[in-house]
Amino acid sequence: MVINMGNIQAENEEIQKNMREVARNLLNDKKVDMIIGYAQGTVPLSSSPIFIRNVEEVDNLIWDNLCYVNLARYVVPPLTEFVDNEKVNLKVGIVSRGCVARSLIHLAKEKQVNTENIKIIGIPCNGVVNRRRIEKELGEKEVLELSVSNDKVIVKGKDFEKELPYQDYLNELCKTCKVKSPPMSSSLSDVIVGDSLEVTSVEDDFADLVNFESQAPDEKWKVIKELLSDCTRCYACRQACPMCYCNLCFVDQNKPIWFGKTSDISDIIVFHLVRAMHMAGRCVGCGSCSSVCPMGIDLKIINRKLEKIVKERFDFTAGLDLEVMPPMMTQKMDDSEDFMLGEH
Amino acid sequence: MVSNKMKERILEKDQIKQFHEDLARYYNFYAPTKVKGNFVFKKITNPDDIDLNYLNSKTPPKEILFPRMETLFTYKMDGKEIEIEPRTDLEEKNIIFGIRPCDAYSFNLLENFFNFGEFKDDIFLKKKENTIIMGLGCNSPRSTCFCTSLDYNGHPHRKDDVDIFLTDLGEKYLVNPISDKGKAIIDKLAWLSEANEKEVQKAVELSDEAESQISTELDLENTADILDPNFNHPLWGEVSENCIGCGTCTFLCPTCTCFDVVDEVDQYNDKGKRVRLWDTCQFCQYSLETSGHNPRNSKIERCRNRVLHKFSYYPKNYNMIGCVGCGRCIQLCPVNNDLREIIKKINLIKNKSKKEEVTVA
Repeated sequence: MVINMGNIQAENEEIQKNMREVARNLLNDKKVDMIIGYAQGTVPLSSSPIFIRNVEEVDNLIWDNLCYVNLARYVVPPLTEFVDNEKVNLKVGIVSRGCVARSLIHLAKEKQVNTENIKIIGIPCNGVVNRRRIEKELGEKEVLELSVSNDKVIVKGKDFEKELPYQDYLNELCKTCKVKSPPMSSSLSDVIVGDSLEVTSVEDDFADLVNFESQAPDEKWKVIKELLSDCTRCYACRQACPMCYCNLCFVDQNKPIWFGKTSDISDIIVFHLVRAMHMAGRCVGCGSCSSVCPMGIDLKIINRKLEKIVKERFDFTAGLDLEVMPPMMTQKMDDSEDFMLGEH
Repeated sequence: MVSNKMKERILEKDQIKQFHEDLARYYNFYAPTKVKGNFVFKKITNPDDIDLNYLNSKTPPKEILFPRMETLFTYKMDGKEIEIEPRTDLEEKNIIFGIRPCDAYSFNLLENFFNFGEFKDDIFLKKKENTIIMGLGCNSPRSTCFCTSLDYNGHPHRKDDVDIFLTDLGEKYLVNPISDKGKAIIDKLAWLSEANEKEVQKAVELSDEAESQISTELDLENTADILDPNFNHPLWGEVSENCIGCGTCTFLCPTCTCFDVVDEVDQYNDKGKRVRLWDTCQFCQYSLETSGHNPRNSKIERCRNRVLHKFSYYPKNYNMIGCVGCGRCIQLCPVNNDLREIIKKINLIKNKSKKEEVTVA
């Protein structure tokens, strides 16, 4: 998908128009009972996930560069309460940029999502604006309005207006994203409606990691420590992540307590790194965790490093082809197991 | 109590260093500072770190007196003998400099909680007693601020909850001693010059202008009464639908007081500490009982609890609303679940039931 950097605003308007049309048809044709999408936020730099059951409400759906929450979150536990309350086989249409669709595909492999019950409303994403970065850089000033025009992000406040280069102010993970639209494969031809992309593998040089990787272990440790030092442990990152659907997170277990709950930096790091371990081969790099973090912690280095390890060792990219099983779900008799102690 | 009105003083912005130096000798001096792009309150050792050019801090200053993690006491074990080492820092004197009026008022709410009934929280109360609060008026409230809608006569320049009140006049601050504690401090800082009439007048103008900038007006007068009979209203399903169940709204709320207590045991060295950590009713385990039953099993109940606690239980128990109108939960909610919108929806229930009454009559 070639993004025409000429006019993002016009592109978004076009996307929004098409998205509403697809959503309207899905509801009218009774193909879905509900659409999960984004509504206009009530505060600057935000959007709000919305659940649409009546076709009259379809015009509340919006598409812009602040649609940051990964909506796949809402079809896996513990946020499926509304599904349980109403009907078990609720059919849902989900507004999906590339990464949201990839989450759904991966969740289908993990048997958390039944593809017969979902419709992926494909969006050709042109990137999510890094709201936390803008907020941090402006600091003492409040952004009241954000718009995108040509290749600029324009932020306005009471007594200021600032133009920022669009590419620079995208989420870090959006900068390296290669799958802007839902990845189509034959088994998904009935599931994906709207925009899609033929893609079976992703080439990536992980150039963005060179800097981090070239550092000595204690330097890396310092980077991670500094990155996570002001985590408040509100768990917004975990709660926003579609891959975090455990009934009881390891960090919440208290019989026995496996992991410290304090805000001692060692406990904070253990939480984030153990969570990262559970993300290997599963994280699609949607950046939702970073967008939602109230403190603006960007977990990009961890996410990208995971992606790279899995790509190098197993030649696997999460959430592409429904038929290709993830390494953590595959047992091969000739797996090298060279991490085992003792004789091989 | 007859207390002489003390004249306002002037603190030039380049005198902050001196101000800090004079006071940090005797007090732990907390002030807003920018850490990795976020404004937070920290103990200031280098006055250059103080940054008062802020709207409000990201984490509420409640964390100075009620931190995210607090060691209640440490202990040593020798067989069955346990020796408790009490806290030694509670007698230390603190200054909270540059706090916003809404957050200054939040300490009253916190004190209400920690001082309620039979069980007093000595740690919090002692710290509060030893703390001088120096407020800073908001000249430029955020779009999400709604202090003026609240029951405490909230105002961007409210002075009632501070010992000393500062107004940013541009190049300098007008320093207004409010309490006796505050006056005593100003007395000692003899180098502060007296303010003239013009400067005092300018502060009044700024105060009025700030008030006019607050754009959110909420009707909270009858909210508690509406909430009571509407515990099972379908509204709660509606407003909780997009909640992802994180702790942002409550952790960063200046009035939320819930905590969990855990023992951090160091078995290898026969010692340990008991710590309290922020907890929140938004976490699924918060109300889980030992039996396995959870009275707030779904996010509908958890979201409802936050609103009821602030706008129904607080008014009933303490005769005050448990919200200061700082707008942090609105600004920072990951899914933009806007408290103002929730309140407006609650008020619509009222209007509806009133209408129905009219029709019936």
